[in-house]
Amino acid sequence: MSAAFRYEFLMQVRKRSMWVAYGVIVLLLGLLSFRTLGDVLHDPVAKETVASIAFLVNLILPVGYGCFLADRLVRDDRLGVAAVLDATPASTAGRLAGKYLGACAAAAIPLAIVHFGFAGLYAAVAGRPVALGWAVALFAVVIVPALLFVGAFALVVPLFVPAPLFRVLFVGYWFWGNAIYPGSMPTLSQSLVSPIGGYPLQVMFGYPGGDVEIAGPVPGALLNFLRPEATTATAWLSIGVLLALAALVLSAAPALRARTTR
Amino acid sequence: MDLWRYEVRRAGWAALLTPPVATAALVLVALLDGGADTDRTTARNLIAALEMAMPLAAGVGAASLVGRDPAVELQLTVPTSYRSTLLRRLVVTLGWAALLAVLVVAGLAATGWWERWPGTHGVVAGQLVWLSPTLCLGGLGFLAGAAFRGPAAAGGLITTLWLLDQVLASALQEQYWQRLLYLFATTRGAVPGDWAANRFTLLVAALAFGAVAWLLLGRGERLLRGEAE
Repeated sequence: MSAAFRYEFLMQVRKRSMWVAYGVIVLLLGLLSFRTLGDVLHDPVAKETVASIAFLVNLILPVGYGCFLADRLVRDDRLGVAAVLDATPASTAGRLAGKYLGACAAAAIPLAIVHFGFAGLYAAVAGRPVALGWAVALFAVVIVPALLFVGAFALVVPLFVPAPLFRVLFVGYWFWGNAIYPGSMPTLSQSLVSPIGGYPLQVMFGYPGGDVEIAGPVPGALLNFLRPEATTATAWLSIGVLLALAALVLSAAPALRARTTR
Repeated sequence: MDLWRYEVRRAGWAALLTPPVATAALVLVALLDGGADTDRTTARNLIAALEMAMPLAAGVGAASLVGRDPAVELQLTVPTSYRSTLLRRLVVTLGWAALLAVLVVAGLAATGWWERWPGTHGVVAGQLVWLSPTLCLGGLGFLAGAAFRGPAAAGGLITTLWLLDQVLASALQEQYWQRLLYLFATTRGAVPGDWAANRFTLLVAALAFGAVAWLLLGRGERLLRGEAE
């Protein structure tokens, strides 16, 4: 598992195209939010400000890394090395876990650079070093669970849906299941299974503040049974549900691979 | 003609299925309004499905063209240049999306939904509703595929740009240059007067992306290195 982790991590991190694509995306984000950046950097409330950065990172960038990771498992078959790897003494489950964690760890590096980069800039400009502490907490309970959730689907779904179709469906799902207000149409957003992390953001970090809510029941909306009141317990439950779903999806990978490579 | 027929067959069911599946998903979303929407809003949502699904499917399709041939070395030795082959595949990808889009417009026009949203500019000029953003994102996807030599990063870039245009829709209406480059100006644009200029700019951008991609693909030895894995 550790060898698979190391190689998968290095293969991803050395992929120059990934860095260039992230560079273009971050440049565009910076360009679009340039006018509000001054206000954000001088906002005195460190926790909410860093939470808003984590929210933006978790809203936009998962689509990118979901697409980057979509070919990681199928490419072993495409390159004809899957059978050779299967013949090694390393267990299938160990290699899968190593590949999954290595790919996710590599995808986390650009996320960490963007997230901690903005948080560090804010901490320096606003003179609030505590922002870095909040940034670490947000990374752990908001960004990493989303990464593990998306990573599992991105590795496994292309085993039975071709990668280009998966990319199109995934971005459609991401917008529908995370960014659409539940009052306007049936959606999974603001629910326990919404990987954007509305529950922890709202309960633990007071984001977005005021009367605006990004988690919990919406009067008149469908699927409200997936939206219990936002409390500390349901915030942890939401993280647990996301990780459990990721594990469930990953556990289906060996059977799916056996079916596709037969 | 044989080459074209071969390319259509080579594209496979996944490539052919992507535009209709994306459109069907967004049409479904457009109709899931809980019964509260007016006809005008439903019409806008249906046209939005066309304006948003086609560029996404075409963009990701175009981004997936480079880096999937198992024997590029062989392709580079045949008399037909490899970039012509890739361009032919791009035309097949965009052509299929275009055929589907025309059918959807015809369907909307026949059922009267097309006229219920005033921003559609009639059936003829109204083809720019889908044509401009589809060519623009398709051209950019082709360029990204050529630049990154593989579909993963190129697809990631295209889908992220599409999402940015969705979630930052209001922020992207503030300045004139942003409105000119905004992909969904028909259904989410703030200044209807900018529509024609926006559609024209997207077409010019598509040509520019295609031209740069063509130049990049001219250097065949770049493709031999393949995508860094």
